[in-house]
Amino acid sequence: MNVRMRVGVAVVAMLLVAGGGARAADDDKPWTLDANNWQEGKDLLPEPVLKHLQKGDYWFKVVPVDRDKFHHNYSKAFWDATESNEGKYDLDDKACGLKNKSDGKIPDFVFGLPFPKIDKSDPKAGCKIAWNFNLASEMGGGGGATFTLNGIDTGGQFRRIKAFIHSRGYQGRHFGKLKDNPENLEGEGIGGALEPVDVEGVSTLSKRYWDWDSQDAIWAYVPSTRRARRVNAASRSDPVGGLDIFADDLNCYAGKVEYYQWKVVGEGQILAPVLQPYPFPMKMTSPTRGIIETPYMTAGYEKPGSKGAPWWIQENLVFVVRPVWIVEGQSSDPYYNFGKVIMYFDQEMYRIYWKLVHNRAGEYFYTAMCGYHFVKNDETFSAVFPNLVVGVNDKTNRAALGGRFQSSFIEQNWDPSYFSLRTLTHMTD
Amino acid sequence: MTTVRGTGALVALLAALGGYLVVVERPRASVRPAAPAPLLVDPASAVARVELADGERAIAVLRRGDAWADADGRACDGAADLVDALRALRPLSVVDAAPHAPDDYGLGAGARHLRLVATDGRPLLELDVGDRNPAWTALYVRRDGAPEVLLVGAQLAWELDKLDNATINARNRLTRGRDR
Repeated sequence: MNVRMRVGVAVVAMLLVAGGGARAADDDKPWTLDANNWQEGKDLLPEPVLKHLQKGDYWFKVVPVDRDKFHHNYSKAFWDATESNEGKYDLDDKACGLKNKSDGKIPDFVFGLPFPKIDKSDPKAGCKIAWNFNLASEMGGGGGATFTLNGIDTGGQFRRIKAFIHSRGYQGRHFGKLKDNPENLEGEGIGGALEPVDVEGVSTLSKRYWDWDSQDAIWAYVPSTRRARRVNAASRSDPVGGLDIFADDLNCYAGKVEYYQWKVVGEGQILAPVLQPYPFPMKMTSPTRGIIETPYMTAGYEKPGSKGAPWWIQENLVFVVRPVWIVEGQSSDPYYNFGKVIMYFDQEMYRIYWKLVHNRAGEYFYTAMCGYHFVKNDETFSAVFPNLVVGVNDKTNRAALGGRFQSSFIEQNWDPSYFSLRTLTHMTD
Repeated sequence: MTTVRGTGALVALLAALGGYLVVVERPRASVRPAAPAPLLVDPASAVARVELADGERAIAVLRRGDAWADADGRACDGAADLVDALRALRPLSVVDAAPHAPDDYGLGAGARHLRLVATDGRPLLELDVGDRNPAWTALYVRRDGAPEVLLVGAQLAWELDKLDNATINARNRLTRGRDR
């Protein structure tokens, strides 16, 4: 594309952002974006994704969304807290750490978006966006799911791993802070492989400290050695199980906010993948546990005669047009495998829908598409779950699917000793 | 006597092996292929002007202290990131040492041309920027008039587009200001 063409595209993009009438934004009927009308996706998708669209690898079922109704996918309690957070918080200049404006200390407990208003000319805007994303992710308080990781190449699936993840959040949760937090954590999680047998029982325990400078503490357990070893937090950028997917793909960014340098480089609109635009109900099975049933997202390799790449989702996934911040993130950790990462954050719901990853040599190699579903019963509680990652390695032309669980749960009251090395080392007992 | 002779022989063998390691193996072990130099070897502060052009349009961004602005003084973000990227990006490989048809790489007449100039007017870097490779992961470039086609990470394309968009945004800021 020459300079003039790019200028044209950029100008059109700006007009669309300014409300100039993108078809996708204004249509009130579902429509399909595919290779036949790929031009209509020019300002709605990252460039490498557009290339796949043009080739016929991808197609998108775009559904209209009521912006106000979508806003209320999060509870009134969450939005009220967000409003009351205005002016309360600031950022540490060096570490991008969250602090109270009043005393300069890390807040005791935060609920809601800490920065309700973002000014993109603010040099700290990128970091503020990252904190909004972080706190929006934490509103559910904790829960878990059993899911699959599928390695897929152009011929179909070549590996499948069944795994589970359980988590507990101490910050950002509805209903206030937990009484006991002896390790001063922001959150903790335990995850492990269930199938196939060669990886069964391989598990990790992660603890994220509520401070500006500690590295995450991560232990990995391998049943054959019966040992739990501490591993580097940068291992989040290592491929999981030899697949084209990374631990850092959960929510499209799973690191500590302070790990990256964040920079806003633009804004626009994007096609956001969601299971459905509006929330799923949660069925309470105990006073503290709620179950959410969601439909399975069939991929091309599972459905003969399907359209597009074998890893492309065929059913139960739709796309909504959302306004986004385009933000660059870069880790200063020399052991972290990624170079510059470009992320597309929802300007209101603070989800990351897409990320483009360069390696440390500056080569673009990987795109992750992150899909979500929302959970809400009433205005006192809501949650947003990451339920899909489509990780595509454009360098090797392979992909991995993560998530696609049909049942997940929210748990407000985990056993205090559950997230421990003891649990990790007795996983296969 | 036999013991002394045997020990002497062992010491001699040890000395010979040690000598072999020092003279032959150690230099060989230390010879590692040197990483290619980054596209821009000069410090970022040495760059005073960034020019980007194709056959139809040209933009120039000038350093103003720590910030960058276009020729009319309108602030333009993006140049600093581009300069930083050029100091980090290294050629990944030489794709074609003597291309017969540079157009095949997008390096014909329509190629973008990037030029970085020092405060004293000395050119620091000249790059012809061609197409992306088929996997979309990298770009074809030629440096400082040399014929060989190099492959450079696609982050360069991202940074160039940011610069391009930044100049458009700077112009729009002015237009909107006039409208008000």
